[in-house]
Amino acid sequence: MRPSFFHHLHPPTIPAKQSRWRYTLGAGGMAVFLLLVLGATGILELFYYIPTPDQAARSIQTISYLVPFGGLVRNIHFWAAQLLLIVSAVHLVRVVFTGSYAPPRRFNYLLGLALFIFAILLDFTGYVLRWDQGIQWALVVGTNLIKTIPLIGNLLYIVLTGGTQPGLPTLIRFYAWHIFGLTLGAVILGVWHIFRVRRDGGIAVPPPPLRVDKERITRKELARREVLAMLMTGAALILFAAFIPAPIAQPISDINVMAGDAKAPWFFLWVQQMLKWGDPFTWGVFVPLIVLAVLALIPYIFPKPADSELGKWFPRSNRSAQIILAVIALLIIVLTIFGSLPAS
Amino acid sequence: MSDLSRRDFLKLTTTTLLTISGALGVGALFRFLDYQTEPPAKTEFDLGPAANYPIGSRSLVPDVPAFLIHSQNGFSALSLVCTHLGCTVEQKGGEFACPCHGSLYNADGKVLRGPAQKPLRALRVEVNSNGNLILHTD
Repeated sequence: MRPSFFHHLHPPTIPAKQSRWRYTLGAGGMAVFLLLVLGATGILELFYYIPTPDQAARSIQTISYLVPFGGLVRNIHFWAAQLLLIVSAVHLVRVVFTGSYAPPRRFNYLLGLALFIFAILLDFTGYVLRWDQGIQWALVVGTNLIKTIPLIGNLLYIVLTGGTQPGLPTLIRFYAWHIFGLTLGAVILGVWHIFRVRRDGGIAVPPPPLRVDKERITRKELARREVLAMLMTGAALILFAAFIPAPIAQPISDINVMAGDAKAPWFFLWVQQMLKWGDPFTWGVFVPLIVLAVLALIPYIFPKPADSELGKWFPRSNRSAQIILAVIALLIIVLTIFGSLPAS
Repeated sequence: MSDLSRRDFLKLTTTTLLTISGALGVGALFRFLDYQTEPPAKTEFDLGPAANYPIGSRSLVPDVPAFLIHSQNGFSALSLVCTHLGCTVEQKGGEFACPCHGSLYNADGKVLRGPAQKPLRALRVEVNSNGNLILHTD
């Protein structure tokens, strides 16, 4: 076959065992697909969205209810964004639970973690672009949290919001970050991440002498499975988009006037729950940063899984890393559940 | 002469210059983004004739947001911005509850339950020459 771009992405053959669904969960591939979907639907939304406080929520209603297929486009964008966070988290968990972060993949693990942060920031900025009563309080709380950072908090607040309280400059800045700054960063990191997978020798497997299962599949078979995963994800997105509309509420009339939902977006409910415990900086900034630091340090502080144990779930030699991640994940899930309960 | 070789000297100079320009660039970027295009938020609110608020009245002023109290001792006002993370507190049976993180204040703005540490801010109220009530949030 004539060499093409496709050949850069996949080696001629890859180990059969490590290309099974039950090993990869298809999470990384799904994340790539979702990013493509988000790019395409996001571009379409650009044609109607108006980034001003008066017009933002109204223009989203126009897309959702008046523009032919607009509702479908917006709902797919919304659901792909939510799903992206879930598959990214699943991918992270898979990588730690299979010990795949070990050298030479340490750096790529960090790239992946950075991508995850970008995905969260993209989700949050996108959520704020609704500029409706549903996002008002999360925006006030989120930006006020920045203010609690010692020394540079006030400067960061103005740099982020463009004023002393959320308003037109804030919406414009979040818009610029969402459609350009963060997106560009995510694209660069994403391409680098995928490039490094290939560069680091593909998916983690034991070195050839230790390999029990020598069976391999061709890249055509791999591509077939990828297309299958895309079709299934695409079908799920269309199904969700068709039946569960993305939220939109009344436009924010006055940033100080209490209206709408005081709940954080679902991916920050765990932080909102912790904020009920006390000092905003400690629980809202410091602790999440510690969680991030622990995640980033996993490949550096825990022992490298034994070569013979690579390419399978739960290698005995890196139990400590698995336990740490499981505890963090469990705490976040439990806090999210508590945070989602209606206030007493 | 020191032991610094020509190559090391050039390397050091390059690194230093690049670091300095990088730092200057970041500083400039922050100053660029630090500019505020909007006038600062209003800190003075005209609440209309003081006579509209008789002694014993307790009124909500949603756009400040504040709570105006006219007692025997005169006018006083409480900011309704939660001192924890800035959500607007809601009146609940004489108390003020924050919907975001559950802080609770009594009618005078004192903290009954955290996470808030500080009481609701007391705001300055005055009657101007036209007899109108002016509320200051600064």
